[in-house]
Amino acid sequence: MKKVIYKMLVLSLVIGGFTSCDDELDQLPFDEFATDNAFVTSEDFENAIRGTYSALIDNPEFVALYSSSDAGSMLSAPDVLSDNVTLSQSGRTTKSILHNWRYTPAGGSVGGMYRGAYRLIFRANQLLFYAENYEGENKANIVAEAKALRALAHFNIVSYYGKIPTQSGDANGSLGVAYVTENNPEIEPARETVGVVYDKIVTDLTEAVADINDVNPAGRMGKEAVNLLLSRVYLYMGQWQNAINAANQVTTPVAPRADVVGVWEDTSDSGLVFSIPNESGTLGNNIGVTWSQGGINSLVPEYVASFELTNLYAADDIRKDAYIFLGVADGDPVNGIKKLLGRPNNTDGIVDYKIFRAAEAQLNKAEAYYNLGNESAARTALDAVRTRRYTTPPSGETGTALRDAIRLERRLEFAFEYQRFFDLKRWGLSITRTSDGDNADGSGTPSEELNLPAGSYKFQLPFDQISIDKNPNLVQNPGY
Amino acid sequence: MRTKFSGILTLLLALVVQLTFAQQKTITGTVTDDTGLPLPGANVIIKGTSTGTQSDFDGNYTISANVGQTLTFSYVGFDTKEVKVGTQNKIDITLEPGESLSEVVVTGYSTRNQTVQTSAVVSISAAELSQMAPTTSIDNMLQGKAAGVQVTAANGKPGQGAFVRIRGTGSLVAGASSPLYIVDGAPIREEDLGNIANEDIENITILKDAATTARYGSRGANGVVVITTKNGNRNKDAVVRFSSRYGTTSQINRNFSMMNAEQKMQYEAEMYALGITSASGLPGVTTAPGSPERQQLIDNQVDWEDYLLREGVLQNNSVAISGGAEKVDYYFSVSNDKNTGIIDNIKGFERLSSRLNVNFDAKEWLTLGVNVGYSRSFSDEPRDRNNTQNAFRATYDYSPYETVFVLDEDGNPLIDENGDPVYNLTHTGFPVAQAILTDVESAIENQTLANVDATVKFNKNFSYTFSTAVSHLNRRREYYAQPGGALDDVINLGGGSKTDSGIQRLDLTISNRLNYNLSNDKHNLNVLGLYEFNLNENNSYTINNRGFPSALLTTQVNGSDLRNGQTFRNRLTLVSYGAFADYDFKERYLASASYRRDGSSSFGSDYKYGSFYSFSLGWNIAKESFFDVSWVDLLKLRASYGTVGNRNGIGRYDSQSTVSFGTSPYPGGSSTAPANIGSPELQWETTVTKNIGLEFNLFNNRLRGVSDYFVRNTTDLLFLIPRADEAGVGSIAGNLGEIENRGLEIALQGDILRSADFTWTLGGNIIFLDNEIISLPDGEDVTPNAFNILFREGAKINEHYLVRYAGVDPATGRPQYYGADNNVYFFDTLPEGENRVLQGKSTIADKEGGFFSNISYKGIGLRTDFVFKYGNWVNNVVKQNYYGDGSNGNTVADNQAVGAFNYWQQPGDTDVLPSPLYTEEQAVNSDRFLERGDYIRMRNITLSYTFPREYLEKTPISTLRIYAQGQNLLTFSKFWGDPEVGISSGETIDFADTVAPGEITLYSYPNTKSIQVGLDVSF
Repeated sequence: MKKVIYKMLVLSLVIGGFTSCDDELDQLPFDEFATDNAFVTSEDFENAIRGTYSALIDNPEFVALYSSSDAGSMLSAPDVLSDNVTLSQSGRTTKSILHNWRYTPAGGSVGGMYRGAYRLIFRANQLLFYAENYEGENKANIVAEAKALRALAHFNIVSYYGKIPTQSGDANGSLGVAYVTENNPEIEPARETVGVVYDKIVTDLTEAVADINDVNPAGRMGKEAVNLLLSRVYLYMGQWQNAINAANQVTTPVAPRADVVGVWEDTSDSGLVFSIPNESGTLGNNIGVTWSQGGINSLVPEYVASFELTNLYAADDIRKDAYIFLGVADGDPVNGIKKLLGRPNNTDGIVDYKIFRAAEAQLNKAEAYYNLGNESAARTALDAVRTRRYTTPPSGETGTALRDAIRLERRLEFAFEYQRFFDLKRWGLSITRTSDGDNADGSGTPSEELNLPAGSYKFQLPFDQISIDKNPNLVQNPGY
Repeated sequence: MRTKFSGILTLLLALVVQLTFAQQKTITGTVTDDTGLPLPGANVIIKGTSTGTQSDFDGNYTISANVGQTLTFSYVGFDTKEVKVGTQNKIDITLEPGESLSEVVVTGYSTRNQTVQTSAVVSISAAELSQMAPTTSIDNMLQGKAAGVQVTAANGKPGQGAFVRIRGTGSLVAGASSPLYIVDGAPIREEDLGNIANEDIENITILKDAATTARYGSRGANGVVVITTKNGNRNKDAVVRFSSRYGTTSQINRNFSMMNAEQKMQYEAEMYALGITSASGLPGVTTAPGSPERQQLIDNQVDWEDYLLREGVLQNNSVAISGGAEKVDYYFSVSNDKNTGIIDNIKGFERLSSRLNVNFDAKEWLTLGVNVGYSRSFSDEPRDRNNTQNAFRATYDYSPYETVFVLDEDGNPLIDENGDPVYNLTHTGFPVAQAILTDVESAIENQTLANVDATVKFNKNFSYTFSTAVSHLNRRREYYAQPGGALDDVINLGGGSKTDSGIQRLDLTISNRLNYNLSNDKHNLNVLGLYEFNLNENNSYTINNRGFPSALLTTQVNGSDLRNGQTFRNRLTLVSYGAFADYDFKERYLASASYRRDGSSSFGSDYKYGSFYSFSLGWNIAKESFFDVSWVDLLKLRASYGTVGNRNGIGRYDSQSTVSFGTSPYPGGSSTAPANIGSPELQWETTVTKNIGLEFNLFNNRLRGVSDYFVRNTTDLLFLIPRADEAGVGSIAGNLGEIENRGLEIALQGDILRSADFTWTLGGNIIFLDNEIISLPDGEDVTPNAFNILFREGAKINEHYLVRYAGVDPATGRPQYYGADNNVYFFDTLPEGENRVLQGKSTIADKEGGFFSNISYKGIGLRTDFVFKYGNWVNNVVKQNYYGDGSNGNTVADNQAVGAFNYWQQPGDTDVLPSPLYTEEQAVNSDRFLERGDYIRMRNITLSYTFPREYLEKTPISTLRIYAQGQNLLTFSKFWGDPEVGISSGETIDFADTVAPGEITLYSYPNTKSIQVGLDVSF
């Protein structure tokens, strides 16, 4: 009997110690945070909005909208696709498929950036989803920022994949992209028309303008930035007065001539409306690699400023010094692209990301006023930029000459700054490159393809086949 | 050594303990087989008691018994005999071969006699293991030993393991196709098996079909390897066994020649003449043939293979002491293994292991046991990446006229300001010869495997066992690019860079088992109830600093520029309930069934639990009274069906939605980024295995065979399922897709000669394997993290996805390729779109196995083991680099194979390499260098001599064996280079991330051959 008691005792001891094992099956990660717990406090939402912004920029894991990826993104593609640059024979020929308009569904398009844009949109939508049940005092501003970012991401990709409303009469009825506002990882959305997409962009931006802080911390948009974006959106839509009204809300002065070089070396923040500090320790991303690597005299450029563009800058135009530098690649002098080259005495490609500048408000207004027939207001706006760039600025144009002057100034001001392809596209112009080579004096090898006629289907980039494979509702653009 | 287990089992099953006080006497004798050979390890048990012993190496035994008691003599494969103790003091016994092998199969949860078990199982005993090639990791030793077990050596790095696949590749994600390894009840990762001393292993049992693997539930889908360590024998004085071996190891001879200095310079001149301008600065162009400059280059040429590599040293010493008293048995061992490897100037691998296993009858009804093993290993981790830092790559890349040091005009090394010779950066820009000394990475692993258990016997039928099993690995890795070292000089780290990283892996299993056993003349029934908890936790860290003041200071506190400092932790738990039953009727009709319910923390909240079951039946036809064929000793048919799960290959928290804060930095403070999109319905992948098997022993057990046919169907494959780009979330873990592996396994062994002095046994096994990807997520192709491997529905697993090379155009010397439309094109005329195709050429061998011959004549033994693979394809990128056609792949400055001279020169040339004029046209991902990976390799040859007992009688030594052994001395293969390819480039895709072992050659540590001499002595 005693034995039996012993045995029962042993048995009950060992079994008794392990009855609550089922609880052990509920494990939470140590290195990550349950999503539901990450959207509770006001600090959580501040963290979340920064996380949404971070999807704009370089990330080791994926191509982002403003990433320096060899595959091309906002930082490079609008110029690579246009007449502002020439492929360098000394570089790695990155993005050459884009440059030569040889993209197909199998590759060469900007699919990485497309995915990057929707990653940002998912982050914004996740934040907005959790914000519905949040009532902190920073809610309105955070929600506004999330909507503005969501609009920015959609606007950027629809500019590549869809037509631009003013581009042609059929544009608004043609397919744009899917405007995603759902926090749902399972969606397989269809494309919406350009008209619908632009309306949704305007809605998001209008709501954002109403609630966003005048000024937000460094690296975040404030009211002026959203207004500037809104003015560009209206301009693309051909809603001239709205574009002017929005631009008028941008009060940051255009950078004076003396500051222009410094703006691109991060020694001045004159005229900056939205920029992202790129400091090592936090970021320190080498974004200049998208244009070139190496020192001034041992340059490995991917692209150089086109000979044509270089010559368009007048001798007294400060932008020539600010945007272009004379480098040496494989022993030949070349017109290097300077905007992302580096801070003073540096060529490491680490400079702040400049997304929006005040000069655009003036040039948007100039173009809008011109289209409304108000040439004097257009000239005023145009001169607001020109007087801060030249020592003896051109002036006094009228009619078509004024229109062309506005367009030229936009090209000169925003060369290598994410606009040229879209401008040519919305103006319905051809892309025409000169047959000058890649050397500083126009000698050397020209780009292979020199002309993309107006109306070409290639103005609307193809969706990657893998994108279509994953989303059966995604319809390819005509021509591919 | 199976016999020890059957002995222990017998002891356990002797349920009635009788204590008597009669006068005891000591009986001695010899146990021999029908041919007069001694039977070592035969069980000698006093019937009706738990007292017993085993015969020694020469068949001798000693036992104390009372007059009137009965001694039972038993041995695997022989009929048991009983002798009553009378007046005699010496009882010699001859056992007759039995009608069946009575090996015991260890499933980890229970043991079952081979005669009555119904599962496809292979058991490898210590005796067999000791005859195998003594590599430092046991998984390598499994190759060719068991039908259906495919083994691919990871690489030749000392201490490195192998990729083991049981019955094909059962999963499409990395880290999920390896079997579950259980050592004394504790799981261990495949890549950590090198921490177990081979000498301590009693038995390796490989469970292949669901009848036994289903007992491991959600972890058993890819087979289970159950490793048991040794125990001592009861009532036996301590036996001390000492083993020692020593030998040398070197790279397996290359079956091709690289150019010497003269040839290389001639090649460079030829390339330059063809317009390869990148050759313009090379000495073949800048020096004239016959010039003094050219002659100096030739005179100073370096054999880089010889310089960077060496003949390594292998050394092993081990001591084991085992024995037991009436109520206790013990096994103790200490061993030391060294393998310097073949890279000169580094230490290589060293392992110290110790173990103590003790079982103790604390009470008549209570037995306690403890198995504890500890090992510490040191391993150099030379760069294993496809770049200029890789020493093996350097042995190919460096042209022989490149010298180790920069030489002056007289051919003497230049001296720097410190008086040290200046290393030659070589054309690659990186001096590997220096980096081996100054940029060192090493790893230290401390592995503890411990199992403690207690068994309570309630009565004749019921017993209960409680056990805890721990597998704990503490790994520390240090990589120091020393200040002033090669890397610091080349890329200016700013005073060196030191990375410390480490991980603590804990795996703890707490197991409760209730056992019911019923045994009588007709019925044998065993039922086991299981309740188990398993916890697996990893804690890791990584720290990096730069700016060290001295190469002698290695700890992080000396760094001045902290770049990285992070810790990580994750945990995985498993709760299991199970019931397993085995039954036989007169050993004729056999049946088993199992049911296991596993709950795993890694799955969705409503899907944590899964049920896995199996049924199996067997029929021992030869035991039927109506079956009367005298030359058939065993004829057994068996069949099994069951479901088994797999939970590996996904993240531990993939069912949960999470965010992280460290991955998306942004100015202003923390930033939240989605880390994982939860899959609340995530569950295990399920493999349904059907198996039929036939076992037979014929002609007095001289011919023995096993054959199995199986179909493994795996569904709900664990996958990262790509979501629509517009969803913005990338991929989400889920269950989708189906694959099938089916195959036929045959294992045969025959005693060609069997007499007292002379035996000769031949044996071998083979698997014929077929596999297919049946469905994939959304039917779309999947590109795994591999080199040009594609998964497609209807294709085989791990097929190469490449453009087909169509040879050289004889008219122009241009390389040609097939387009997707099967027409022949040049590089620039290939049709737009996808021209890569699947051709049924997979990395997985469809026939694999091994064969052996074992001859023994009066103590002289000669054993040879061969392994083979057939039907696998390897993309031989290393070859491609040295048939560079001028510059393709690498640069023309890289040394080339002598065969590179054979390029197209004039119209009409056939059977040649493409003309270097079109070097850039080689930039196609083609199958030009996709080669068959078939080989037959003599893995082991051992010549041994066991000293006869009469020589040793006057010495304290009881057994003495000496041997000489060679490993990998002979290879038959058409492959360029070594055909045993596992890891391609370990720092690109490491062991745990490898989806397709053997896909591509990319300079991982090469395999080695070795010659060793050794001795085993016991006293």
